[in-house]
Amino acid sequence: MATLLQPEKVLYLVRGEKKIRVPLSQLYFCRYCSELRSLECVSHEVDSHFCPSCLENMPSAEAKLKKNRCANCFDCPCCMHTLSTRATNIPAPLPDDPTKTTMKKAYYLACGFCRWTSRDVGMADKSVASGGWQEPENPHTQRINKLIEYYQQLAQREKLERDRKKMARRRPFMPQAFSQHTIHVVEKYGLGTRLQRQRSGAPISALYGLSLKEGEDQKEITIEPAQALDEVEPLPEDYYTRPVNLPEVTTLRQRLLQPDFQPAGASQLHPRHKHLLMKRSLRCRKCEHNLSKPEFNPTSIRFKIQLVAVSYIPEVRIMSIPNLRHMKESQVLLTLTNPVENITHVSLYTCEEEDPDDINSTAKVLVPSKELVLAGKDAAAEYDELAEPQGFQDDPDVVAFRKSNKIGFFIKVIPQQEEGDVTVAFKLRHDFRNLAAPIRPTEEGETTAEAIWLTHHVELSLGPLAT
Amino acid sequence: MADPSAKQTGQKSVKIAAGAVVCVESDIRGDVTIGARTVVHPKARIIAEAGPIVIGEGNLIEEQALIINSFPENLLPNTDDVEPKPMIIGVNNVFEVGCVCQALKIGDNNVIESKADVGRSVMLTCVCVCVCVCVCAADVGRSVMLTSGCIVGSCCQIHTCEVIPENTVIYGSECLRRVQTERPQPQTLQLDFLMKILPNYHHLKKTVKSSGTPARS
Repeated sequence: MATLLQPEKVLYLVRGEKKIRVPLSQLYFCRYCSELRSLECVSHEVDSHFCPSCLENMPSAEAKLKKNRCANCFDCPCCMHTLSTRATNIPAPLPDDPTKTTMKKAYYLACGFCRWTSRDVGMADKSVASGGWQEPENPHTQRINKLIEYYQQLAQREKLERDRKKMARRRPFMPQAFSQHTIHVVEKYGLGTRLQRQRSGAPISALYGLSLKEGEDQKEITIEPAQALDEVEPLPEDYYTRPVNLPEVTTLRQRLLQPDFQPAGASQLHPRHKHLLMKRSLRCRKCEHNLSKPEFNPTSIRFKIQLVAVSYIPEVRIMSIPNLRHMKESQVLLTLTNPVENITHVSLYTCEEEDPDDINSTAKVLVPSKELVLAGKDAAAEYDELAEPQGFQDDPDVVAFRKSNKIGFFIKVIPQQEEGDVTVAFKLRHDFRNLAAPIRPTEEGETTAEAIWLTHHVELSLGPLAT
Repeated sequence: MADPSAKQTGQKSVKIAAGAVVCVESDIRGDVTIGARTVVHPKARIIAEAGPIVIGEGNLIEEQALIINSFPENLLPNTDDVEPKPMIIGVNNVFEVGCVCQALKIGDNNVIESKADVGRSVMLTCVCVCVCVCVCAADVGRSVMLTSGCIVGSCCQIHTCEVIPENTVIYGSECLRRVQTERPQPQTLQLDFLMKILPNYHHLKKTVKSSGTPARS
């Protein structure tokens, strides 16, 4: 059954700052710390920005300038699909001879999904295929820019004051310029240094990088405070009686995608430039090694560094579940796959009583007591028809089948609760050969790296009891 | 495959006007009239069970499209009280691949996109565009009428009892609607191309004059 293969059925516990239970396919493995890492215990760094439709790379500085939007591509304001440019031939008078008309190409934007066109909002057809489309200007831009400048200056001034205070506490012969080069001051409206950033959950300020460059002259900027109005524009008289023209009313999503204008009518929905996506790289917080680094090219989906957990840790998957009955022992068939190329020894242990990790299990489980041996992954084996038998002595009560680097084995499950889903947990202990660590100069003949034993807490969700 | 058991009497026959291109592999049963310049792809099914179907000119009926004039589900086929209602389809409509249409009245310039499901009680007026709709379940509540210029999008199901106003676009998984300002263009280029190319690869059903004796190849 395909539902048993769903990744959420088998969860591995990650012991990071928080204890997280995640399928193995979503985890990373730091082979320097020899620990599992989830997305929450790594630091995310932006590698590059790119547009998802034209796949154009954009350096970060340019992306910031363009507010993280692509210059060429547009989104449909109605259904958020990517707009495509279509051409029509319209008769237009020749510039030389006004009486004759010639066919000229006119371009308009159209959505293939909801059939929205730029003509719907009254945007005239352009004569150039790209670059002719302008976003409407926000009427409040000037005020917003002035406010931003004012607050930038305020932040800079506060930073200097703080530095001066710190300076006063220091010994007097410290050089004056030290404060400008200190790396420990957090900019108020900026992102802190990497030391501050590593705290998980630290919010990233929206006004990133707004601090003034050093050396700029500090011109005093004043702003007028916002004026509170007593009188509000009255509603039109037929506001309550006029029938609503439903196709004209914009949905909340359409409206909020354009926070500048938030138009209430569909005839004012203008297309916006497409948002850029980013490629990110992940870094282990403890040892600062990169866990995942994608390639720079937006068209490439490969990674330069890809330390994902599925290529280091044996993966448990559920193969078949019999009818589970309350307090009756049933055999569940699981598979264990070895991702590495050398032989792996796996032992399973039940969780002890009062194990702090074991909070979700609702059934008792009896795991095989013998050590399971998994053959290495051999990429050429699938093409080899006359595969030699692997010569492993398997106990037929424990091991159901063996196929290259995968075995199927039985566990016995005794559901303890009468209702609800059956969840079991056990510990998986396997040996891991760390090929990343420098091999100590050993005596001649020893080429294998040292094996260390790793233990993981695995939880399986076996579904509801049979009725 | 063509139904070999269709009766040759004047009532239940397929009348294909001159200029229409109807492939032999299409399944046309019952009393169906097909207008000129209409292209019916192979594996399209036009089934007139509970009444005749009249298809206008310039229509494009693609593969696995199902146009069916069926009995309402709560009546048995053998009931004599049921008066056969004709299903009238206008001109320049496009029935894309895999759509199901049971609406009794379809106007002009409509587009029913792939896997759309238009119920019996829907009336598409002019220029509707039915975005592709996924039809998996049985049809329920087929009292729609498509006027003209409507577009019923992919995998949208229209089973309401209503007249879809002109130039409506129904799209998305929740069948959102909006009105477009212009009608979809008639697929003249496509029709011309198909009328030239299809006879090179498929046998065609013989066309008859509308008053002549029915004959099928």
